[in-house]
Amino acid sequence: MAAYFLRESDLAAWVNRLIRGRRVWGPVAKKTQFVFAELRSAAQLRLDYDVSLVPPKKAIFPTTQGLIAFSPKGAESCVLPKPQILFGVHFYDVKAIDQLDLLFAEKHADRNYLANREATTIVGSSIQRVFPRAFWGSIAPEVEPRGHDAFLTKIRGGYLFETRTRKGEALVRAGKFTPASAAKVEEARQVNARMMTCCPEKLPVPAAEVARKVRLGYIKEDLWKELARDCFSCGTCNILCPTCYCFDVQDHWNIDQVSGARCRSWDGCQLEDFARVSLGEGASENFREERHERYRHRVMRKLSYLNQKLGGPACVGCGRCSAGCVPDIADPVRIVARILEV
Amino acid sequence: MAVQKHTETAGEGNVFLPMEAGILRVEALTATEKMFTLRLKNGQPMIYDPGQIVELSLFGYGEIPIGFASSPTRRETFDVVVRSVGRVSTAVNRCAKGDSLWVRGPLGRGFDLPKLRGRNILIVAAGIGLCPTRSLIQYILECRDEFKKFTLFFGARTPQHQLFLADLETWRRSDAVAYYETVDRPDATWQGNVGVITTLFGKVEIEPDTRVVICGPPVMYRFVIRELDKIGIPHHRVFVDLERRMKCGIGKCGHCQINDRYVCTDGPVFPYHEIEDLEEVFA
Repeated sequence: MAAYFLRESDLAAWVNRLIRGRRVWGPVAKKTQFVFAELRSAAQLRLDYDVSLVPPKKAIFPTTQGLIAFSPKGAESCVLPKPQILFGVHFYDVKAIDQLDLLFAEKHADRNYLANREATTIVGSSIQRVFPRAFWGSIAPEVEPRGHDAFLTKIRGGYLFETRTRKGEALVRAGKFTPASAAKVEEARQVNARMMTCCPEKLPVPAAEVARKVRLGYIKEDLWKELARDCFSCGTCNILCPTCYCFDVQDHWNIDQVSGARCRSWDGCQLEDFARVSLGEGASENFREERHERYRHRVMRKLSYLNQKLGGPACVGCGRCSAGCVPDIADPVRIVARILEV
Repeated sequence: MAVQKHTETAGEGNVFLPMEAGILRVEALTATEKMFTLRLKNGQPMIYDPGQIVELSLFGYGEIPIGFASSPTRRETFDVVVRSVGRVSTAVNRCAKGDSLWVRGPLGRGFDLPKLRGRNILIVAAGIGLCPTRSLIQYILECRDEFKKFTLFFGARTPQHQLFLADLETWRRSDAVAYYETVDRPDATWQGNVGVITTLFGKVEIEPDTRVVICGPPVMYRFVIRELDKIGIPHHRVFVDLERRMKCGIGKCGHCQINDRYVCTDGPVFPYHEIEDLEEVFA
C-alpha cells in the first residue's frame, strides 16, 4: 500500500504505543536464544534475533486451545479471538503462517484457528542475523511470503515500513513515520535480496525436483531405516516446525467435576502412538509402527505431499528441526542430499 | 484447564461444537459391543450416506469416530455400534436409554450410491466391519428394486463374535440377499463354514461386473482383493471402507493420514483404484 521511514530512535516509542493498545507478540531474548513472547516494553524487543525457538504460530494456534466448553447444560463454543499484533516475523515464518491459513480454511473451515488469525495483525521484519542451520534462501525462494499486513526492513538510520493491508496501514498512526523516498525503498529491497544468499546451508536442487525425488525414494526402505536409525521418536522436529499443525483432542474436567472443556493440543507424527487404533480385546493396529515409517512420513509431508496444494513445499527452511534434533538427523538439507545420493 | 467460554455470534460455525442426541434404545450385541439408537435433540433428521461417520462423544471422556449402522432412509433416528476398547468407548457403553450422547456429523465420504444402483452388489464384511456396512445393507434391502443381485459375505472370529444376530437370522432366510457366513474358530454348535472370509468365494459365483464393498480388519483387504482379481473385477468397481484414527473428522489433525490422503475427509470409503498405489493403504 505505502512505504514509510521510521528513524531508529523512534522505534521504541512506536512499539510502546502499540503495546498500550493490545497484545503484541515479539522476539525477545531467552538466555542465549530467542522466543516470541508478549511484549511488556519495547526494550525487550530483539529484532536482531536469528530464529525463535518455537515458531510464532503459537500466537494463533496455541499449544493447547479450548474448542468447546461443556457442562450439564450442554456445550458452548470457545472461539475467542483477541486483537493482537505479531511483530517482527521473519519472512519464512510469514510463509509458514500463510500455509496454515490455507490448511485450516480448506474443506471444513476451522473457526478456532481462523478467528484468531483474523484478529492478528502480522508485521514481518527483515533478517539481521542468520541462523547457522537456516536454508530459507534455497527452498522455494520463488514462493513469495503473503498474508502479512506490513513489513519492516532495517536500513541505514532506521527502518523501511511497507504496509500491505489496512490493518498494517492502521499501525502507522501510532509512530513518527515519514513517507519513504524511492532510494530508501530500493535500499530495503537490496537488504532483503542480499540476505537471501546468506544461508550457510543450501538445498542442492529446486524444491520441485526435491519433491519428485523424495516421493520416488519412498520405497527405499533401507535408506529410511538408515536415516531414522538414531531417532528417539521424541517429536521435537514436529513441535518446532512452523508448518506442523497436527493436534490431539482431549476432554478435561474442571475442578467441579461436572463441567470442563474439550481442548486440542499440539501433537506430532513422530510419536509412537500417533497412528495407532485400538481393535478391542487388547489388540491394536499401528499404521506407522516403525520409527523409519514415521520419519519418512514427516519428510514426505514437508517436502512432497502438500506441494501441489500449497504451491511449494511445506518446509520454509527455518532450520529449527535441524537444530532441535538431539541426534541431529532431522535436517532436511542433509536428508535430501542423502536421498539424491542413492 | 479452565477455558473461557465465548460465542462470536450465533451460528459461527465452530466445527467442533457437537449436537445432543438422546439414546432411545440400547442393545448389547456381544460381550463388548452395544448398539445405540439415537435421535437428535434439535429435532432435525440426520441426513447421511451409508459409509459416512460421526464423531461420537461423551463430555469429559472425548470423541471417537463411528460409522452409521442403520439406513439413512430411516431419517428420524440412527444407530451406531460401539465396541468397548478404550476410555471413550467404555464410558459410552455404560450409558443407558434416556441418557444423551453428543455427535458431530455426518463427516467424510460414504458409499457412492449412484455408482452402486442398478448393479450386482457384493459386500464383504468381517468382524465389526459389519456395522458401517449394515447401513448400506439395510438401504439395499429397503430399496431392493434399485439393485440387481445382492450377495453378502460375513466373517467373524467365533460364533460368539457375530453381531446383529436377529439380522443374520433374517438374512439367512431371505430371498433378497444371498448371505454367506464363516467363522475362524467354530464352537460345538456351529454347523456353518469354517475358515477365513476368502473361503466363501468358492461357494458362489461372483460376476466380473459386480460392485464390491469391503470392510473389516486391516489384514483382510489384501486377501479379498486378490480373490476379486482372480474373478477379473476391475479396481474402480471395488469400494474399501477404511479404519484409521480419525480424531478430528475434518481433515486437520493428521492422525488418519494414508500418505497424503485424509481418511476422515477423502474417505473413509474409497474407490480402490484411487488409493491402490499408496504405499500406506494396507500398511
